[in-house]
Amino acid sequence: MRICMLTWEFPPRIVGGIARHCLGLSKALAKNNHEVHVVTLEFPGAPAFEDIEGVKVHRVRIELGHPNFITWTFIFNHFMEKLVAVLNRNFEFNVIHIHDWLTAPVGIASKHYLNKPLVSTVHSTEVGRAQGLHSPDSFLIDGLEWWMTYEAEKIISCSGSMKWELEHHFHLPSEKIIVIPNAIETSKYERRIDREAVKRRYGIAPYEKIVLFIGRLVPQKGVEYLVKAIPLILQQHRDVKFVIAGDGWSKNYLEDMARSAGFADKVRFLGFISDSELTELTMSSDVLVVPSVYEPFGIVALEGMAAGVPVVAASVGGLSEIIEHDRTGVLVYPKNLESLAWGVNRVLSDPGYSNWLVQNAKRKVQEVYSWEAVARRTIEVYENVCKR
Amino acid sequence: MSFRGQPLPDEYYFLCMLHNIGATSSDKSLTLEEISRRIAMEPGKVMEKLERLIEEDYVDVNDCGGIKRYQVTVKGIMKVMSMYS
Repeated sequence: MRICMLTWEFPPRIVGGIARHCLGLSKALAKNNHEVHVVTLEFPGAPAFEDIEGVKVHRVRIELGHPNFITWTFIFNHFMEKLVAVLNRNFEFNVIHIHDWLTAPVGIASKHYLNKPLVSTVHSTEVGRAQGLHSPDSFLIDGLEWWMTYEAEKIISCSGSMKWELEHHFHLPSEKIIVIPNAIETSKYERRIDREAVKRRYGIAPYEKIVLFIGRLVPQKGVEYLVKAIPLILQQHRDVKFVIAGDGWSKNYLEDMARSAGFADKVRFLGFISDSELTELTMSSDVLVVPSVYEPFGIVALEGMAAGVPVVAASVGGLSEIIEHDRTGVLVYPKNLESLAWGVNRVLSDPGYSNWLVQNAKRKVQEVYSWEAVARRTIEVYENVCKR
Repeated sequence: MSFRGQPLPDEYYFLCMLHNIGATSSDKSLTLEEISRRIAMEPGKVMEKLERLIEEDYVDVNDCGGIKRYQVTVKGIMKVMSMYS
């Protein structure tokens, strides 16, 4: 099967989970002898075309610009559309697959002018990310998301909670939405690391424990609840450093919050770090905290589980589907400082319990969340839409 | 200024505009006057914001034959993408 996958985010252009998802899925599809063409955006240092383990990656050069972000997205969609048309002349795609609203215009246009079925993966929604529609931009994005779900023959949702959200917010028929979870590459965690050297790199003493957060610094990720819970954790565990890996528009706000509460020396804001650094840091941590207020899936929790770190996560969306409380991790109440601190303290206080969670979690990741399984189920969706 | 209910420094909106007008690599870098014209902002204000963003490594400046040209860094591109992803 020839698949045209459209995404605004693809390595090395990585911000959220979409880039990693598209890479993992497209590599698994290529491994199963399907021809995958990923059309994505240019990025400094990345070639206009490359073959990654059988995946053909085409990066579009955006020749025009406009200060308004939404206008800019329509402009890059137009340039993607032109490239898709050229590629289709040579390869004759069977299916178009888009990821989130940012590539909805090119996906919808390609569906109609190429007369090909459109599949859309919804990773999250604007109403969820922004916790409501509070601005004209949010209304516009919400409208584009509705249009994308209307035009797609099938919608892939990463979790049951995301499916529920789509059914209720966009009034979609249940049978149009297929739940296929995310997956991760577990092989990168199958190695030994020097934990002390990793700690030294970030100015952390060998005896200090690391409470880690990984993700974009935006309100939906709930980092502020972790920062606010710091005193409750320190009351029981003085030798702890809180490491926050990621960047986002809330970074200054969170740094100010930590500073004004007098915990600046206890928190490290690392900004974006490379994938290999992230792997080592995760494997060197004592707890991974996922305090999200909205999380359709929560791939970072899977990464923690695969890396052998106990995960403490807010019981929202996909997180409550991935983690089985008290067996593969600890679920806490969202937006609740006492509950969050309780979860972290529980794991830090009992190494035996922590180790038990880690063993169960590793097993579950290997059994359920493999790219091979996700690719197999995605192909079933493609075959289904191509029959029509 | 606020974005999705939280305070957002003006320079991040400016960073987003600089990214959207295409100044994202050395061959697409822009002069102060070009930026000022494209986003309709006084050169003085543009300079003020650029200086702050350079300090934070979100913007890079190159000297091309005595003319300064500005571009968003990889770190800056990630910052902008995090706003809408």
